[in-house]
Amino acid sequence: MSDRTPDRVALLALPALVYMVIVFAIPVMVLIGRSFFGPSGLSVTPYIDFLSDGFNWRVIFNTLRTAALTTLVCLVIGYPTALALSWSKGFVQAIMLVAIILPLSVGVIVKAFAWQIVLRRDGIVASLLMATGVWDEPKLLLFTETGLVLGAANIFLPFMILPIYSVLKLIDPSLQHAAATLGAPPVYRFFRLSLPLAASGIISGCSIVFSLATSMYVIPSLLIGDRYQTLPTLTARAFLLMRNERLGSTTATILLFLTIAIVMLTAWLVRRREVQT
Amino acid sequence: MQNSVLEVAGAEKAFGSTTVLSGVDLAVENGEFISLLGPSGCGKTTLLRIVAGLLSADRGTVKLSGADITGLPTHMRGVGVVFQNYALFPHLTVAQNVAFGLKAQQISAGDIRATVAKYLDLVQLTSMADRPIRGLSGGQQQRVAVARALAVSPKLLLLDEPFSALDRKLRELMQIELKRILREVGITTVLVTHDQEEALVMSDRIAVMNKGAIEQFAAPGLIYQKPASRFVLDFVGHSTRIAGTTAKTTDGLLAIETAFGTLHAQSGYIPGSPVTVAIRPERISMSMAQETPPSVNVLSARLTDIIFQGSKYHLLFENQGDSHLLVEAGRIPEGMAVGANVHLHWSLEDTLVFPGAQE
Amino acid sequence: MTATERIWTFVTCLVATLVVVFLATPLVVTILTSFGSSSLFTLPPPSWSVRWYQRLTSVRGLGSTLLVSVEIAALSTFSSIVIGGLASIALVRGRFPGRTAIGTFLTSPLMLPGLVIGIALLQAFRFAGLRDVWTSLLLAHMIVTLPYAVRTIYSSLLLFDFTLVEAARTLGCSPMQAYIRVLIPALAPAFITSGIFAFLASMDNYAVSIFFTDAWTKTLPIMMLNLAEEQPDPTIAAISSLLIGLVLIFLIICDRAIGLRRIVDQH
Repeated sequence: MSDRTPDRVALLALPALVYMVIVFAIPVMVLIGRSFFGPSGLSVTPYIDFLSDGFNWRVIFNTLRTAALTTLVCLVIGYPTALALSWSKGFVQAIMLVAIILPLSVGVIVKAFAWQIVLRRDGIVASLLMATGVWDEPKLLLFTETGLVLGAANIFLPFMILPIYSVLKLIDPSLQHAAATLGAPPVYRFFRLSLPLAASGIISGCSIVFSLATSMYVIPSLLIGDRYQTLPTLTARAFLLMRNERLGSTTATILLFLTIAIVMLTAWLVRRREVQT
Repeated sequence: MQNSVLEVAGAEKAFGSTTVLSGVDLAVENGEFISLLGPSGCGKTTLLRIVAGLLSADRGTVKLSGADITGLPTHMRGVGVVFQNYALFPHLTVAQNVAFGLKAQQISAGDIRATVAKYLDLVQLTSMADRPIRGLSGGQQQRVAVARALAVSPKLLLLDEPFSALDRKLRELMQIELKRILREVGITTVLVTHDQEEALVMSDRIAVMNKGAIEQFAAPGLIYQKPASRFVLDFVGHSTRIAGTTAKTTDGLLAIETAFGTLHAQSGYIPGSPVTVAIRPERISMSMAQETPPSVNVLSARLTDIIFQGSKYHLLFENQGDSHLLVEAGRIPEGMAVGANVHLHWSLEDTLVFPGAQE
Repeated sequence: MTATERIWTFVTCLVATLVVVFLATPLVVTILTSFGSSSLFTLPPPSWSVRWYQRLTSVRGLGSTLLVSVEIAALSTFSSIVIGGLASIALVRGRFPGRTAIGTFLTSPLMLPGLVIGIALLQAFRFAGLRDVWTSLLLAHMIVTLPYAVRTIYSSLLLFDFTLVEAARTLGCSPMQAYIRVLIPALAPAFITSGIFAFLASMDNYAVSIFFTDAWTKTLPIMMLNLAEEQPDPTIAAISSLLIGLVLIFLIICDRAIGLRRIVDQH
């Protein structure tokens, strides 16, 4: 390989790099930049205007609250699933992998539409709760926050399971045995061994699901409707219905910074763990 | 049996239709170092896991210091284990690894610190206390694993092939080092290994296992010099074997007819049974054909090959072109070269006889 | 195992089983609904029929929409694999500063909200005077598909033993021949899987497309979104079921190419 100079190999990255800079980076920069430019030059007026409206605080709160609830549900049911997946072998493992990969590869609209059917007054969830006697009369789950979180958790669950699984499957099972021979009881082993070892997977799973849930648009539009606005639905409305591009640019930029903050927080958490160990 | 720290009685275990342990009994005295030696698949690791509670036996009991612990979960047994891959916790430092078991008990922070310091000092890792596990050498990892297992003061220490991840030089060094540490602590220890040298070097007694059963449980010298079965003979050390048939016994001397002539042994066999005569290669003496050797067992053979092995030589002999006889010697007697006719001779005590022809 | 451990193991397996059912629910519901005779989404349906599939032919614009979606997905995937593959080689083999940063940059659209990217592109294309819907969609979708190509091909290249290329050179291949005859076949599974996942991401994309479609040129997700808002009936379930079938076929191809477990590692 001595005849290849480093510079010539680097050139291969140019087409992708140039494309991404022109069609992706510059437009995003311009979007951010323009949101700070009022009619009279540089200003934060759009943000002050936006944040001085109580309704908009409600929108930000809705966005974060739904995302947090979705992440929590995904974590609580995703961790045991990832654990069971790491124990499983052969046929059972194949079934579980298909059950995770197939929905992951199917489009969000398909799944969100299915949840519209599931959450109806005569849908599966209502029928199930009626049959088990939890509910006395059929209620509508569609257009409620519970329905939204249930649907979103269902759609984003694979993004929680897979990162945790990818960490769990690398953990040497003899570590559990070693801890037991040192006299550590099961609960102690869970908190002092299993959780810390899986932490990087849990952090990245939570981060991915939280980001996705923060920026989801189709799922709330189909499962909760216009009544409940989040940053993405408001952004889309501002552009597509209200034709208010200044508002849309502002909310889009807030959403963008929120997402970047999550990514950076995650990177910081992961790096801090690496420094510790 | 009052002094036994570990008593295993009638342990049986099968995985599906494969029997891994078929009724093993084992008693280990207080302060003793014993080895479970055998090829892979002989059940030695299964036995270790049953003792540690990582696996439950189908039948049989395990007693520790007289108390029945058969049904007790691992964390309540007080049996320390050094795992084959050491199983060190990657998210903790050296000191935190050693402290792990202590923290699980209700022990004050000061006592934990003192105990950790004591065991790190014992394994000479005090300077590495705050290092992460990643980046430690194999030998250092092993010492952390030993310190961690000893820190919780177990009644019994199990070592599962602890040297297999180390290279040859380091292995020999660590065997001596570990023996020093364990003697200092005075803990009863069971070593599981497939490496006979390791077992011979370290153990007070060795249990040689084969196909789920213990074939012989004795001191290393006895295992080597008086193997109880063909398996033990084959598994521990080299041997030169000659097929033969027993003839009559005169004056307590058993005559055995072989292709090399008549050989003699001590024990009594019915005349006419097929046997294998075995001799440890270093117990065979050589002399040139014209001299008359003093021993009772003599045969003559032609030297076909000399293999230099550093500290010793292996010499191969043959007779009538079929049998290869191995002799081990520290030096080559003067005038002996490939092609020479040589008298091989050995004493009566070194003549081992096993039933059945050589396979 | 202690009693506590046994209970926890049981609970874990129970949760996992329920989660598998939970994950399968939307897909099963979609398929069942699409074969029902009722237009009211009653489950289980009163009787079975294929009327919603027959109705697909009469949905106005479905054919042309599907064509647009497939064209955009195929073209953007292909271009992404070409330029993403070249960039991956540069990132793995090159010795220039900032390689990690460039890698992160090329995959960063995966981490950012699609809507924000869509809006940024909408404004940029408008500024550049680009009015053509089809071209806008293609340019925008390459931002969606490129990260998939770079991610998968890059990680496969990291595992590739480049001494094989050197071996080919010693056997008389020119540098170019060596790459084509050794590297390309070795990376074929990576091309297939990254291609499939990039294609699916483009076919499913709504967050970027939503800003570029008009009444005449739409992509399939946008059309489905319109249908779901305007006249929700099992026609959408029928379209969805066909898409699920497509995904299933693609996954079988991926499984043959690299195996289920490595598909998991790609995510």
